[in-house]
Amino acid sequence: MTMRFRESLPPLPRRRFLTDAGGGFGAMAASAWLAGERAAASHGRGLEGLHHPARVRRVIQLFMNGGASPMDTFDYKPALERHDGQMLGPKEKPEGFTAAAGAVMKSPFAFARHGESGRWVSSVFPHQAGIVDRLTFLMAMTSKSNVHGPASYMMNTGFTLPGFPCLGAWISYGLGSISDELPEFIVLPDPRGLPYNQKANFSAGFLPARHQGTVIDAAASEPVPDLFAGEAFGFARGQADRDTRDALQRLNRQHAAEYPADSRLEARLAAGELAARMQLSAPEAFDLASETRGTHAAYGLDRPETKDFGRRCLLARRLIERGTRFVQVWSGPQGAINNWDNHGNIQTELPPMAMSVDQPITALVKDLEARGLLADTLVIWSTEFGRTPFAQGSLGRDHNGGSFVTWLTGAGVKPGVAYGASDDLGYQAAEGKTSSYDLHATILHLLGIDHEQLTFRTAGIDRRLTDVHGHVIGEVLA
Amino acid sequence: MSIARQAACIAAVVMATAVSLASADEAAKWLSAEPLPTEPLFTEHVEPILRERCYGCHSHAAGVIEGGLALDWKSGWAEGGSRGPAIIPGDPEASLLIRAIRHVDPDLSMPDDQLPDHEIATLVNWVAGGAVDPRSLPAAAMEDRTDWWSLRPLTQPEVPAAAAECHPVDAFVDTRLAEAGLASTMEADRRTLIRRLTIDLHGLPPTPADVEAFVADRSPDAYSQLLDRLLASPRYGEQWARHWLDTIHFADTHGFEHDAFRPNAWRYRDYVIASFNADLPWDRFVKEQCAADVFAPEATDRRVALGYLGAGPYDHSAAITAPRSFEHLDRDDLVTQTMGAFASTTASCARCHAHKFDPISQDDYYALQAVFAGIGKGDVAYDPDPQTARDRQRWEQLAAAAQHRDETVLLAEEHAALVAAWEAARGDAAAWLPLELETISSAYGATLHRQADGSILVEDERPEVDVTTLVAKGPATITAIRLEVLADDSLPAQGPGRADNGNLHLNEVAVEVRRPAEPLATPVAIGLATADFNQEGWTIAQAIDGDPKTAWGIHPAVGQSHQAVFTFAEPLVLEADAQLTVVLRQIHGGSHLIGRLRLTVTDGDPQTAIVLSPEALAALKTPAAERTEPQQLVVAAAVLGQRAGQGLAELPPQEMVYAAAAVAENERGTIRYEKPREIRVLKRGDLEQPRQEVGPGALTAVTALEARFPLPAGHDESARRAALALWLIDPANPLTWRSMANRVWHFHFGRGLSDTPNDFGRMGSEPTHPQLLDWLACDLREHKSLKRLHRLICSSATYRRSSACSEEMVRLDPDNRLLARGSRRRLDADAIRDAILSTSGRLDLTMGGPGDQHFSQKPGPQLTPVLNYDDVDWDAPGMTRRSIYRVVWRGIPDPFFDAFDFPDLGLLVAARGESVSPLQSLVLLNNRFVLHHADAVAADIASDTAAAALLDQLREAVRRTWLREPTPQELAELEPIAATHGLAAVCRLLFNSNAFLYVE
Repeated sequence: MTMRFRESLPPLPRRRFLTDAGGGFGAMAASAWLAGERAAASHGRGLEGLHHPARVRRVIQLFMNGGASPMDTFDYKPALERHDGQMLGPKEKPEGFTAAAGAVMKSPFAFARHGESGRWVSSVFPHQAGIVDRLTFLMAMTSKSNVHGPASYMMNTGFTLPGFPCLGAWISYGLGSISDELPEFIVLPDPRGLPYNQKANFSAGFLPARHQGTVIDAAASEPVPDLFAGEAFGFARGQADRDTRDALQRLNRQHAAEYPADSRLEARLAAGELAARMQLSAPEAFDLASETRGTHAAYGLDRPETKDFGRRCLLARRLIERGTRFVQVWSGPQGAINNWDNHGNIQTELPPMAMSVDQPITALVKDLEARGLLADTLVIWSTEFGRTPFAQGSLGRDHNGGSFVTWLTGAGVKPGVAYGASDDLGYQAAEGKTSSYDLHATILHLLGIDHEQLTFRTAGIDRRLTDVHGHVIGEVLA
Repeated sequence: MSIARQAACIAAVVMATAVSLASADEAAKWLSAEPLPTEPLFTEHVEPILRERCYGCHSHAAGVIEGGLALDWKSGWAEGGSRGPAIIPGDPEASLLIRAIRHVDPDLSMPDDQLPDHEIATLVNWVAGGAVDPRSLPAAAMEDRTDWWSLRPLTQPEVPAAAAECHPVDAFVDTRLAEAGLASTMEADRRTLIRRLTIDLHGLPPTPADVEAFVADRSPDAYSQLLDRLLASPRYGEQWARHWLDTIHFADTHGFEHDAFRPNAWRYRDYVIASFNADLPWDRFVKEQCAADVFAPEATDRRVALGYLGAGPYDHSAAITAPRSFEHLDRDDLVTQTMGAFASTTASCARCHAHKFDPISQDDYYALQAVFAGIGKGDVAYDPDPQTARDRQRWEQLAAAAQHRDETVLLAEEHAALVAAWEAARGDAAAWLPLELETISSAYGATLHRQADGSILVEDERPEVDVTTLVAKGPATITAIRLEVLADDSLPAQGPGRADNGNLHLNEVAVEVRRPAEPLATPVAIGLATADFNQEGWTIAQAIDGDPKTAWGIHPAVGQSHQAVFTFAEPLVLEADAQLTVVLRQIHGGSHLIGRLRLTVTDGDPQTAIVLSPEALAALKTPAAERTEPQQLVVAAAVLGQRAGQGLAELPPQEMVYAAAAVAENERGTIRYEKPREIRVLKRGDLEQPRQEVGPGALTAVTALEARFPLPAGHDESARRAALALWLIDPANPLTWRSMANRVWHFHFGRGLSDTPNDFGRMGSEPTHPQLLDWLACDLREHKSLKRLHRLICSSATYRRSSACSEEMVRLDPDNRLLARGSRRRLDADAIRDAILSTSGRLDLTMGGPGDQHFSQKPGPQLTPVLNYDDVDWDAPGMTRRSIYRVVWRGIPDPFFDAFDFPDLGLLVAARGESVSPLQSLVLLNNRFVLHHADAVAADIASDTAAAALLDQLREAVRRTWLREPTPQELAELEPIAATHGLAAVCRLLFNSNAFLYVE
């Protein structure tokens, strides 16, 4: 099927249609545009889906940057203990390994079974161990690349090369916003730095620029960039700002009246009104002071180890609660330290990373459930690839796209099940092999989108998030 | 075997039996004496299978003949492709086609999804029966995929006979309008025209004074004079270079995981600007960017054009850890860039399988990869002055001749004169004096033993690398220092090195003087280094080149002593209390260390202080006139080798441009391609499934041209790039001229005649005015001039139409594809910034040079730094230059530019977006750059005494931004804002107004 997007889809959300089309829809007034959006947001609708009814309206993706080790977290491999120290790995250095494979290395962490589902979880995730019955595991995720850049691109955009739109951008493009008050796609990077590929992981690629992720520095005093003028510019703050923008809207309206047939001018007027509304709402959304002390403590905001990731998890909840459709929370910047890229020593490098996210993630899932948000929210725990069962140096683990773990929880997925399995060593996917294509297809499916039909034509191809691949993982759907 | 598989097998057996029964009947017919009507079998049963299953990749009609095998006529399979005949009539088992469809050989399994068994049986029977095939010509019944507008030969169309004096562009456009029954709008007013034309050609608004002068100019050719003036301005090249840089995804950093800065990328950006300003003929522009080294080998200043090859992203991490897939994808990016930018073709769609829509085979695609198979990205050195390059070449040739004792060169008259002059100037042989060593040390724990002969023997600990430091007193004047590396029985292979083979690598030599009165040591510059022996590729010059990765070596001349002399640039005066420090860095690894050494110095004539072999010294004792030819050669080699080294040392340093070449420098060191990589077709684009090898070439679908480049065996890789450039610019290649003519139109109107400028294939859009596009393309092909094209387009009535129109007109042609009216366009990100600067009167028009960093930066955890776009001084030098001169960080975009659709340069961008969003509104309202300059404009206007009254100031602010007088109503809106909140608030408002952002 190679029909153009606009010919092959049911009517699009009005707002996106208007602004993406770039003209030619002059009859559509901004007021109608706004009215339509408000109706969808305030009545809690939005589960119509683009191609079929949706189970999910909004998504939080937690991204463990650097390649979280499966066999030290969720993928228990007793065979590693039997073969510990044996040279069973590939003789030649595979593409993307940073060094030749060393001897098999058992996990230094104790594993135990948890919950009614009896999932194995290592000692690095004591909190998540308590919620395994709510989680849906993909135990044999794979990546095409063993290199951070391409693999991060793949998990975010479905391609190993730059220039493609990421999952959040596609969702924004496909579904538009839930609310006018907040950006539809927000990224909360680790304050210590951006992940591999920098902001290109949040790019809209060839989609209209408005679908790119809005990067928020959760630690900044004014997290939404340019929401207000800086203090040095009194002429652009407070009453001056309001008066100026009222006059601006009036003058732009006069200008538009001179050229009655151009929807872009209308769209700019509407965008101006939405911007004003965002100014009113966003500060409240980012203000954690109104949360109870109990909530702060639950997310770990009272402890230095968990404070930062906890704050961003709490922010993620507040944002989706208020109408942001897709929030991505990153753990770990790029680089040799402070992330999940544990080449040097699993025993010392993994536990602090694990501890920094474990309690906040657990609190987030429980909080979403308690507030009823999990009924139409999907939470994804993901990473760009796994790590080798073979030692790098003597204590670390190298990159491995052969098999790794992702979990999902929330609307539309079966809790307490695991799909797929790696081989005895956890080196390669053995059964139920999945990839970013399948994960993305499944996420889109839950959002009411057929991944094969959400396309955008560029450079001669109707591009999809899932390229020419991807199967909805039916086994994990509720 | 699973139950399902068993069932499938049973089914297959049943099916096969049925077929064989049927075929028994058939066989009987074949065997009868009468010639049978065989065509029905073929046409009714065999050909439909071939058509459905094989023609897609193996037919003339598809324009794709994978592996050289065509199955759409008898000769196709009889001659076969790269593997030989595909069918042996009567012998299915020996027929490659049958083997392929049976999937017996994993290397030859076609199609990917195996045919149903009954189809296989039909083909087997057909072959067994003699493969009767009536097709004496390739089938044309299928749609001919090369019969497509962009691939048809480019011939000059007739200009429609419209009104007698009609502009040719208008003749084409008006004919279409008349057919559609649409009337066009009037010409736009002058105020609108000058703003439109200036922003279009310069990316800047005109000044209010320019506008008033043009409005007042009543001369009939005022517009064409304006057009000429704008095209002659260097602002033109700055604007149109930006379009080209988008098109080829040029940026100043790598992108990917390690998004490192490329400090030498800007030279290519300057080349593009200069080329547009000079109206460099389009064919030359193409040739220089692909292969300036071939087309202008002497004009080394043109090498910057090769920056084109380095424009795209670079995955530094994958280059190290996953080199095969890295190179494959890096070449893919160059193929995509080149075919998209120059030929509007999406060749990379054929990476994994034949192009689904266009006649591009995998063979074609990999032939294009082969064009770029001998180059890697990195900094490439060149001489900006061609004379320097000539001198460099001369000295390098002389040095090589000295090294190889080439008598025709060394004994040539001009060189004999150099030798005679040296000998005449030569004084007494230098006397080498010992140094008074104070301390000697090894940084890595080796033991240094002083020997009776003044030498130092290194013993015991043998580290991987070492740095030897010697501190000494010396004579009052020193002109040169001599390092002897001495053979010794205690060393591996008798030394003089400590590597297992007796070799050593001296990476760098540093000499400095420490004087008691001075807190820091003073480095001593070494002007020249000579040695009695240089390992191939490891010459003594590399010990003083400042590059720690290169070194002097002596392999294979091990087991014997050698010496090197380092002549100081200036004679060194060494006070009695001063200390001389000599540092010998031996950091190559593998214990390539010096095993025994001696340092001596001289105060003699530097000319004599060069290393002369014993045989040269002996020859010099014989009077010149009496020397034998071998003696002359020995002397000439010694003297001229030294002279060449000196000549090279005296040349001005080379410059670098970030490009791609057979030899380039990047973070990984020197990237060197001795010869191009072998390129094979990859089944499904999979590196693990290589198929036949392909040589360099281009698209078979351009039938007028040879699709594979007939290059001689052993050709240089650069010949491949040159061949592609010649293929592109051949007058018979219709793509190149249509591509650029359409791009020019696109940037003038905001939309091309084909509105997919990078894709002229079936997934792109067909031109609205194909005849007009061809007419423009022919003009470009004939004159090669973009400025001529601009003049043609901009002087048309079509270009000058007003954008004001009725709703009826919009209803009839919502996207203005027929051009009955002018199109409204938003300023792009660069133009918004430049217009704001221009309005504030602070636009700095200084051209060229290293990029301006609109951010502060600090080191990141790895190669990628941390950028802060908020923490900058907007008034600092360079910060108010045009946006084309800013550093574009591929993976960390400037939020201001990002909001206004500055493209993601991981991607080839033929057309920028024009999005609208609330966040974008907030950026334009509150970004520090905008506010800073709102303030600046206000201050600038207020300081103008002529505009003292507030209303006058308001009028001036409106004039600068909207280029017209405000209406009373507008003034009434603005005045209270200015009165209450200041003029800066009004300037901020004006920058955010649609009248400022949109061009009519």
